[in-house]
Amino acid sequence: MLVIAFLAFIACTFEDIESDIGSQSNPNSQVQLAAQVGQVNRFFNKAISGEPLSNAMYCVVAGTVVWMLLIKLEPLVPGATWKAAVVAIPIGVGVAALIHMIFSTSAHCGRVAGQKRFEQPIYLDVLYGHLLPIATHGFMTTFCITSIAYIQSNIGTLSGNPQLNHPFALPLLGFIWGITVGSIGSSTGDVHYGTEREFQDRPFGEGKRVVYHGKITRYAECGVRTQKDIAGFCAKFGGPCTGMTFGLIILFENWRTLVGMLLGGFLPNLPAFTASGDMAAIGGIVMGLLIVAAFVVGNLVFVKWVRKKCGPFVGV
Amino acid sequence: MEPVMFLIVGYVVIGGLLASLGAHLLPVGGAPAAMGTATGIATGTVQIMLGAVLTGLFTAANVATFTDNILLVSLSGAVGATIMLVVVMFMANILYAFGCGVVPISGRVDVDPITKEPQAPYKTPQTDGHGVPNVVFISGTLGGFVGGFGGALMYFTLLNYAHFTAGTAAVASFSIFVANAILAAYNIRGTIEGFHDPKFKRLPKSMIASFAISLLAGIVVVLAAIGLGVI
Amino acid sequence: MTVTPVIEEEEEATAPKKGLSFKFPFDETEMALIAGIPAAIITIFTGLPAVIKGVGLLLALLWGMDSVRKTSKYGLGTGVPSIGVLGTGYGVIGALMGLAVVGYGSNAQIGFYPAVLVGAIFMAILGLVSGYFSNSEKYIAMKIPRLERAMVELGIAGTLAMLLQFSIVTGTLEFQAVVDMVMETGVIAFMFIFTAMAMFHPYNACLGPDERRERTRMVSIEISGLIWIILGFAMLVLGTSPWGVWDGLSLIVFGAIVWFVFFRKFIKACMDECWETVGTGMIKTLG
Repeated sequence: MLVIAFLAFIACTFEDIESDIGSQSNPNSQVQLAAQVGQVNRFFNKAISGEPLSNAMYCVVAGTVVWMLLIKLEPLVPGATWKAAVVAIPIGVGVAALIHMIFSTSAHCGRVAGQKRFEQPIYLDVLYGHLLPIATHGFMTTFCITSIAYIQSNIGTLSGNPQLNHPFALPLLGFIWGITVGSIGSSTGDVHYGTEREFQDRPFGEGKRVVYHGKITRYAECGVRTQKDIAGFCAKFGGPCTGMTFGLIILFENWRTLVGMLLGGFLPNLPAFTASGDMAAIGGIVMGLLIVAAFVVGNLVFVKWVRKKCGPFVGV
Repeated sequence: MEPVMFLIVGYVVIGGLLASLGAHLLPVGGAPAAMGTATGIATGTVQIMLGAVLTGLFTAANVATFTDNILLVSLSGAVGATIMLVVVMFMANILYAFGCGVVPISGRVDVDPITKEPQAPYKTPQTDGHGVPNVVFISGTLGGFVGGFGGALMYFTLLNYAHFTAGTAAVASFSIFVANAILAAYNIRGTIEGFHDPKFKRLPKSMIASFAISLLAGIVVVLAAIGLGVI
Repeated sequence: MTVTPVIEEEEEATAPKKGLSFKFPFDETEMALIAGIPAAIITIFTGLPAVIKGVGLLLALLWGMDSVRKTSKYGLGTGVPSIGVLGTGYGVIGALMGLAVVGYGSNAQIGFYPAVLVGAIFMAILGLVSGYFSNSEKYIAMKIPRLERAMVELGIAGTLAMLLQFSIVTGTLEFQAVVDMVMETGVIAFMFIFTAMAMFHPYNACLGPDERRERTRMVSIEISGLIWIILGFAMLVLGTSPWGVWDGLSLIVFGAIVWFVFFRKFIKACMDECWETVGTGMIKTLG
């Protein structure tokens, strides 16, 4: 279970950096707007959809291909099914990376072609130079998610008790975690990219005003800015924070279920639908409510601390 | 006309209404929030709602394998969704505070309704607030709880009353949830701050639409169960 | 995701339509007729080879993409992906409805299941209801012209797309077989997300004031090609087609060819039609 939490941490870190390399979802609306207000830029305008849906797509494709390969490969290695997984998972994730590149290319070319009247050209070096970093980061994200899904759907068979398997199948688990990791990365990591890095020549310490919208930072430390400069910056803070978010969520979820089961005296025999089953569920719920209360109190304290430290708004 | 059919339709309708309510309670800032121009979670309504409910559904499916009580399964789903939203909002606050140096402030009210802290002196001019202040946090917690409860309720109904299999029940309940949540998102027009936002008063209109859609969907579920021969 | 201010497009001064002229590329109403009727017929006959079912799937997805495009032009507030996911959600509910009544009037020997169209009609009603609630003044009041018709089309297109995918993978439309092959194995997650993608990605990827419908449709066709390739592999693995292994292989080959041709066409069209395509260069500086 700790392996799952660790994989989750890595997965979401890479998801966030990947959405910074190919600028996707919410901050991408600024990149789109930039050309429209006259700021021709060299950003990779990857507008596949919101991050949850596109991450879900890659993870589902990977999950489906892995599932198909597992059906074919597992009868060949009875008793050591993990060998089949070691072969199947990278191939599946590779297919997902290919599809990722296809969709990114069509999105970027299509969007730029739709902006013809704003004189935004397609820079071929931007296109070629970013496709591989996008694919590699996406590969890492999808790899971790697919591994998590594989472990969760087979956790019983791997540890000897087939009843512990999650009732959902592997592609469906990939779909669920893909959407979750995308929505988490979209709501936390994109803040660092959008508020800080895209408008880096604006003063630090204020929300970005409406008049700034569209006027993104185009000239920066290494000349004309592209996504490759952004990724290195966001990997220092935004990426790990996002990773910690998802890791914490997975940790709390699995931990409280496990603790509930232990409290209910449930493991390792798993009699279903008895009073001890109810006790296990109640244990899990109570733990969850305690965690929620802790975070609510934590937020109260944190907001008060930030207000005291930063003070009222100064400046114009 | 067995009573279990009415039960199925009733639970599906309740699940749909809760989905709509949850979508209205969730603080969604949309694209402007990712730039620090609006308060709330920096993503779209549909995206965060789906993420929260799917996490809850995952936990609920796990719990449903060893308990039979509808209330417990739904509560597990609700708590799962709430944990996800709570952690997301808290880490978003950390990112706002340390990465961008902004104070979590609401743009719609002058004084925070819960902690009575003044908001206006801390707000950046020409923005609509930024971050996730306390009242928005509480609203998000409630929204996650309600939404997760509705989703897990529908999943449990489909699993145990309509006797679908686990995968079918998950996909069907997810689809009904999605239809309701997107209609609610259209009602919000993209961004909302929570229950203190004036837009929240538009809730009843969306509830009526959700009621109609969920009713039709419930009838579909009952017919499907009859078609499978499991009722 | 939201795109800030919707650029007002000049309404193309369309010449008054004197009936349907059916010239290529097809107008939207003609597209609806061309897509709806053959797709419905292909859905009923599950014994057809997979390539024909794939073409039916392509028509249904093109139809869905058209209706997404018409609606999103007016600015939804929440972004294009939401309406694509809505269409697919309706599709799953409609497919469930169709599968529920599949037993009536069916003939399993030749694979003839007319009753699934009841699902499509039901979703049309549901789309009408949701469109009415979304557009009318007393309720959600989106005020998008012809939203009711668009939601009806979304409902029917989504249902037909999902049913066709089910029948490609399963070979039949018996409810229990579909549940075993598609829903329990998780392939339905793949169908869900790719149907949604095929409906909204073309318009989302080409968003901008200079978006052109023919170019947008090429993206839709190439995404369908991708779906065919992976569904062909799924068919091979599950081994359910009455035509044997050639069915799956032919679908994979056909999908690969269609994808390659249309992807190349699309990228060429984009590079020809954008402002300029340069290897590298500085950006235009402002004063």
